[in-house]
Amino acid sequence: MSMRNTNRLLVLSALVALTCATTTATAQSARPIAFTNARIHTASGKTIENGTLVIKNGKIEAVGKDVVVPAGANVVDATGKTIMPGLVSAWSSAGLRPPTTRSNTPQRGRGGRRFRPSRGGSSGGATSNKAATKVLDGIYTRQPIFGKLLEVGITSLALTPQGGGFPGLGAVLNPAGKTRDDLALNDEAFVQIGMQRNAGAKKLLKDMFAKAKKVVEERENPPAPKKPEKKPEAAKPTGKPAAKPTEKPAAKPKEGKEPPTPKPAPKPAPKGGETKQEPKAAAPAKKAPPKKPKDPNVEIIADLLQGKRRAMVQISSAADLLHWRTAVDDDVKFPRMVVVTRHDSNSGTIDMVADHLKNWDCSVLLPAALSSLPRTQHLTHPAKKLHDAGIEIGFAIGESPPAVRNIFFSLMELVRAGLPADIAIKAVTHVPAKALGIDKRTGTIEVGKDADLLLFSGDPLSPIGKLEQVWLRGSRVESKK
Amino acid sequence: MRTPTLFVLSLALLTALDLPAQGRRRGRPSRAAPAPTAAPAPKKEEKKEEPKVYTAIVGGDVYLGTGQRLTGATVLIADDKIDKVGHNLELPEGTTIIDAKGKTVSPGFVIVKGAGMGASFSGPFKDTVNPFAADIKQGLAAGITSFLAGSTSSRGRVGGSNAVIKLAYGDVEGMVLVENSVVGISVPIDRSAREKLETSIKAANDYLKAIAAYPAAKAKDPKAKAPKKPSGSDQIINVLQDKARLWISFGGGGFNPFRGMMGGSASTSDLASVREACEVAKLFGKSAVILKPMSAWLIPDEIAATGSSVIISPRTRQAPDPRDPQRSGSNIATAAILAKAGVPVAVTCPDGRFGGGGVGTNGILGQDLNTPNVDVAYAIRGGLSNRKALRTITLDAANIMGVGDRIGSIEAGKDADILILDGDPLHYSSFVITAVVNGKVVYEKGKEALYRHIAPKH
Repeated sequence: MSMRNTNRLLVLSALVALTCATTTATAQSARPIAFTNARIHTASGKTIENGTLVIKNGKIEAVGKDVVVPAGANVVDATGKTIMPGLVSAWSSAGLRPPTTRSNTPQRGRGGRRFRPSRGGSSGGATSNKAATKVLDGIYTRQPIFGKLLEVGITSLALTPQGGGFPGLGAVLNPAGKTRDDLALNDEAFVQIGMQRNAGAKKLLKDMFAKAKKVVEERENPPAPKKPEKKPEAAKPTGKPAAKPTEKPAAKPKEGKEPPTPKPAPKPAPKGGETKQEPKAAAPAKKAPPKKPKDPNVEIIADLLQGKRRAMVQISSAADLLHWRTAVDDDVKFPRMVVVTRHDSNSGTIDMVADHLKNWDCSVLLPAALSSLPRTQHLTHPAKKLHDAGIEIGFAIGESPPAVRNIFFSLMELVRAGLPADIAIKAVTHVPAKALGIDKRTGTIEVGKDADLLLFSGDPLSPIGKLEQVWLRGSRVESKK
Repeated sequence: MRTPTLFVLSLALLTALDLPAQGRRRGRPSRAAPAPTAAPAPKKEEKKEEPKVYTAIVGGDVYLGTGQRLTGATVLIADDKIDKVGHNLELPEGTTIIDAKGKTVSPGFVIVKGAGMGASFSGPFKDTVNPFAADIKQGLAAGITSFLAGSTSSRGRVGGSNAVIKLAYGDVEGMVLVENSVVGISVPIDRSAREKLETSIKAANDYLKAIAAYPAAKAKDPKAKAPKKPSGSDQIINVLQDKARLWISFGGGGFNPFRGMMGGSASTSDLASVREACEVAKLFGKSAVILKPMSAWLIPDEIAATGSSVIISPRTRQAPDPRDPQRSGSNIATAAILAKAGVPVAVTCPDGRFGGGGVGTNGILGQDLNTPNVDVAYAIRGGLSNRKALRTITLDAANIMGVGDRIGSIEAGKDADILILDGDPLHYSSFVITAVVNGKVVYEKGKEALYRHIAPKH
């Protein structure tokens, strides 16, 4: 009793002390750094035993068994150690709230314990229609949390808009950043969609996708201006050509190139994003009013349908996914990752709809935990089932340092229960990186990628292995205590 | 044709003879005797050995629990004891063979403190155990074959009511190995209690000396009175006579949740308390067992000097006292540091796992992966060698419970509590395939509804 209280107090005081302390990366030197004799989990191909990894100028210069250490390199003997890519957290709300101590307390209970929506998961919280609002605008910058997450191994993380419906545009953050600008690697990395099992949310989904489909049609087949019968649309032609000029000039961030389209996405000014726009309930754009201003939220979804953006679709259970299919036509396809925040065996764990997921051709982000059949202790392994069905899986890593440290423990359980170890490693690196659109830059150990690395004293999946070093873009992360 | 006649013959033999004397079993009738109830009342005059039931675990890599390993060896079990271990053993006729080729064989894991798994909270345990408790199977799946149940501490004086429980599923008599093999005391002890304790120990020592001298005195003077045992000294005497091990725990200061908050000592097992525990061990003049001394890594030699053993939970962390950060708090290397100093170490799990909440309420593969070897992995991370690491949940743990002569290693004469695993006993991905307790197969993964579907490798 008293011990636990004491711990809490100590943690509290440590937090207070840390508020000012920050994490810094050492200055990057031009000298290459070579890790030798390491076991390297590349997350892209085979694990390399006794391999050498050379990094230079923040990038991975060479990796393999027979790599020659360049002259003048700083050699780090990593005999007996294991190197893997830095963790990529594709679901995180860290920084969306002012710093508190209690909110990061891990929740108890299977599946929900280390991965907890801060408030209003997909099934709670309000349904909102603000797809064009950038979540980054709501961030509390200069929080120690990002540095602390970096110290425990997260080298890239998402900032996920919270709530149901279309809560906004998610961002990809650089955990070493301090200000809004150096935190943001991409402030519109993905469209967040929260599926809820209720009439209002389903109607919103249905209407928005219907409207977006219309917009796509218009974009693809601009109505000829002379056509007489489509009078109200006469104004529209300005819309189509206007789409390009409105393309956001400066804010297209460095990583914006990664959305699958070769062309930059037409970007409607998301100015009115903050103002909640009521979905046109009565007549879904049957008769477009003359000179109707473009709805930025619909434009975002239209981009999505055209494959110019990607989405994170958060659901609570397999049942929610079936509801989605009654609300949105199956032929509405877009690049997405399905996110389940916890295993809900009473409404179906996500593996029960593996066929539908396969049909969607998407990856799934799920809790790194086993589940059990309802009212029994009969354990089930949703992650393994999805993997066996050929679906790419990623794991939610959590948004507090203890949760992140625990992720390896959770992976150990999953591997013990039959998930291949390399799939488990990929599920916290490469797969989430793909979902965030940063896989060309990070998430694996391959030549040319950022040197975002974790170095363990042994097997990362066993408590025997301890995280010893974190490298972010070629610089060692020093923890200031 | 032949078997029935044989059976009838042996039955006749049985009925004609007394129930077999099962070696060193303390007054415990053999469970191996088939259906003696059906037979007419046995005559008491003659005695003869009942034919032994032999089982052999063949071809596995046998971890003896002492730190050694025999590759491709055979373990021969006679009834409930280990008969022989080695290569190319000659197996008696009718031996049941369990093939362990390509698998590993390990002593059953011994958990120094547990709860649930069929045991009640206090004694007498042999009259209250539940041999069909559902979590026995969960314990076995985790590799546990024995654990200490009950209480081991008593504030300011020696006490406790405990027993070493075996996970002998479906066997009431096989479940209790021994009761009260551990006597507990908790520190800090206030001055008056300490004086009382010193007096009691002295009185007990005097009594033991007098008892030893009594036969000689009686020979001289037939009227010499037998020395009188000081009242309430049974448990102290058990410790002094090495019949029970003394466990010294911390934090028996009653309910005081504010102790740490009020800026007092951050830990009940801080350096001063650990030293006090050593002092108490010296009072008894016996090697004691110190429970979860968080600061023990600071004074390994002082602990070694008392000959004491230590129980460590490597996973449990304790922040250092901010006023003296260098000399307080927990250290992941504690087990390694103590082992290096020659202190026997047993590894246990954090409170609320095996200790409090019982095993496996979330499943062996559940949230916390309730297997003892995960806790051992933390000790290895802290620098403990693999060889010593297995001992911390087998032989050294058994010694610490005072039953090292009965369980904890695969050696001839010991109880046949054995695991067959599909890999290194300490690797996280290894599963118990078969568990044997008291010579009987009590768990087979392939037949357990809760476990057979998990990572089936065959």
